[in-house]
Amino acid sequence: MSIFEDLQQAIIDGKAPLAKELTERGLKEGIKAAEFFPKAIVPAMDEVGRRMRECEFFIPEVLIAARAARGATDLLRPLLVGDQSIRPAGTVVCGTVKGDLHDIGKNIVAMMLESAGFRILDLGVDVSPEKIVQTVQEQNANIVAMSMLLTTTMVNMKGVVQALTAAGLRDKVKVLVGGAPVTEAWAKSIGADGYGKDAPAAVELARRLVA
Amino acid sequence: MNCKATNRISLRPTQVDLRAEAGTPLRDLLFEQGVEFPCGGQGRCRGCRVRVLEGAAEVNPAQRERLSPDEIANGWRLACQCVVTSDLVIELRQWDAAILVDDTPFAFLPREGLGVAVDLGTTTLVAQLLDLRAGRVLAVRTALNAQARQGADVMSRVQFATAPGGQRQLEVLIRSQIGKLIVQLLSAANRSGSEVRDVVLVGNTVMHHLFCGFTVEPLAQFPFESERTGLAVFQAGELGWDFSADSRVRFLPCLGGFVGSDVLAGILATKLGDGEGLTGLIDLGTNGEIVIGTRAKMLCASTAAGPAFEGARISMGMRASTGAISEVTQDQGGVKCHVLGNASPSGLCGSGLVDAVAVGLERGVIDPSGRLANGRNPWVLCPPVSLTQNDVRELQLAKAAIAAGVRVLLERWGATSLTRLYLAGAFGNYINRASAHRIGLLSFPPDSVEAAGNTALLGAKLALFSLDGEDGAYGDLRRRVEHVALNADPSFQDVFVEELAFPTVAA
Repeated sequence: MSIFEDLQQAIIDGKAPLAKELTERGLKEGIKAAEFFPKAIVPAMDEVGRRMRECEFFIPEVLIAARAARGATDLLRPLLVGDQSIRPAGTVVCGTVKGDLHDIGKNIVAMMLESAGFRILDLGVDVSPEKIVQTVQEQNANIVAMSMLLTTTMVNMKGVVQALTAAGLRDKVKVLVGGAPVTEAWAKSIGADGYGKDAPAAVELARRLVA
Repeated sequence: MNCKATNRISLRPTQVDLRAEAGTPLRDLLFEQGVEFPCGGQGRCRGCRVRVLEGAAEVNPAQRERLSPDEIANGWRLACQCVVTSDLVIELRQWDAAILVDDTPFAFLPREGLGVAVDLGTTTLVAQLLDLRAGRVLAVRTALNAQARQGADVMSRVQFATAPGGQRQLEVLIRSQIGKLIVQLLSAANRSGSEVRDVVLVGNTVMHHLFCGFTVEPLAQFPFESERTGLAVFQAGELGWDFSADSRVRFLPCLGGFVGSDVLAGILATKLGDGEGLTGLIDLGTNGEIVIGTRAKMLCASTAAGPAFEGARISMGMRASTGAISEVTQDQGGVKCHVLGNASPSGLCGSGLVDAVAVGLERGVIDPSGRLANGRNPWVLCPPVSLTQNDVRELQLAKAAIAAGVRVLLERWGATSLTRLYLAGAFGNYINRASAHRIGLLSFPPDSVEAAGNTALLGAKLALFSLDGEDGAYGDLRRRVEHVALNADPSFQDVFVEELAFPTVAA
């Protein structure tokens, strides 16, 4: 098996130390940092997403796999700086909406987007619309991805879309929403660009929106 | 002459026939039959699904989003999204269940007159009329909370209340429903309203606020803390109750966050605040409530367990009623199911679900990560009842919420176990303690766990008799209880994720 195949398997199995070790070994053997993404990390996380969809993987397995992937990407990211041939797939500002502290889903989406080559600016939980607007402006982000679990905090997502519009940024960013109470119809009604019913769907959507 | 077409709606399996004009929302008809609408009838969950056996009901986009094409083809609909357009024969997915009514003997100080104790639950109401001199229960009434059509869980209730006019609408509904319930109690016992001295109500913070007319706004968002949590006292007349204008009505105080006087009553009923050994009390509901403590100090918290314990969101889930598998055991290499009501099995209730997963773990049908050995095919327990991969996942979410809550409280306390654990509520009564232990829901030796019945109602009754000695504010007790906001505790979500897995071997 090639080192890429081994690394894919290590990520899927959630073996963080092994994933790190394989990445280090690959780099020592002269593999370019940029190559790891299309050949190992992206396909591994796509497979994790598939298993999650089919209920084979649940939250803990997905989180452990994502942490293993992060072990590899943390080693690779610094090496990509200055490499003009490598550009992030997009810059995503993410967080949970104001009033909502449930961030397990948001963390999974963020880690999956990161492994899919996006640059992630994770603002954490209970994020105000002002903070989002400010980050989009300063970091030139092209996607805002927000989640919520409580039906009572859904209304705050509308505020995010309004704040982006008021700041004149609405044409520059795509807005993605997700979370248990969210539906496609609701996403449309508040003027979001897309709804991801699960993390893999969010990644697909993000890829499509910036394509 | 009435020219509007009326349609005949027949319900299965209850064999009830109803008449309704064309255009009547199915939700209005079914709510009166005890069908619950978990998301408040907004088409966001699948809790109210019914099967149209004869006749037609239109499918709208909300239903297409929540039901599979197969389900739609087989007649499944979301009742909340349908209106009556023809004669219908409908199979209900939900059945009425017995509500736990407390009949535990208790110590009391005799007083003159009558008293009423009310357990105001998010889903159900239980009210008892008591002779305060003899300490005797004269009548009992239970009902589904009339607010439930505006959302089954506390958060959807809060959401409804924060919309214009919503809070007032819910307040009117519940005050009038309880008033009527008391009138029914009096008439059942053939007593006069003028004899009613005191009414004591207990309920969670949302129920407290909605009844008392305090805004639920602070409970809609982080940090979920209201300032108006104290004892609320009314004259019956102020509430629009006309059986006796000057009966005193007390809604006992809340403990913090969503933890209300139902838990305070539970502490009174179990004497959790009187002993030396570290004791726990858990109410295994949609909103799981947990208290641990001793005479010196108590910690309490609430955690959103979701409706899996009530059989909701489980593919073949149902309430504990006729046809429900309520127990699953291993039997000579096979699986044995006990079905309620001597009927053929038609679904799985909460206790059966916990048993099934415990047996599945023992037999290796389910691995500790929760994966079904043959994940693509449901595990057939007792035809036609089976358990799907997603069912196991739903139970994992529910059990992890409770287990993580208990663990975080124990860590705060600096302890690893309890000398005794009381389980409150109906589910606590029926759950198999060994199975609860096997799946990691309760990580305590099964013989230290005790079902305590409806502790909220028992506590409310005790309060009726001790009101003479104090005002009902329970200042001393409340000072000894500290509310822990799990949603603000950074370690909670990590512990929750850890608790999602099942224990590897039976300990």
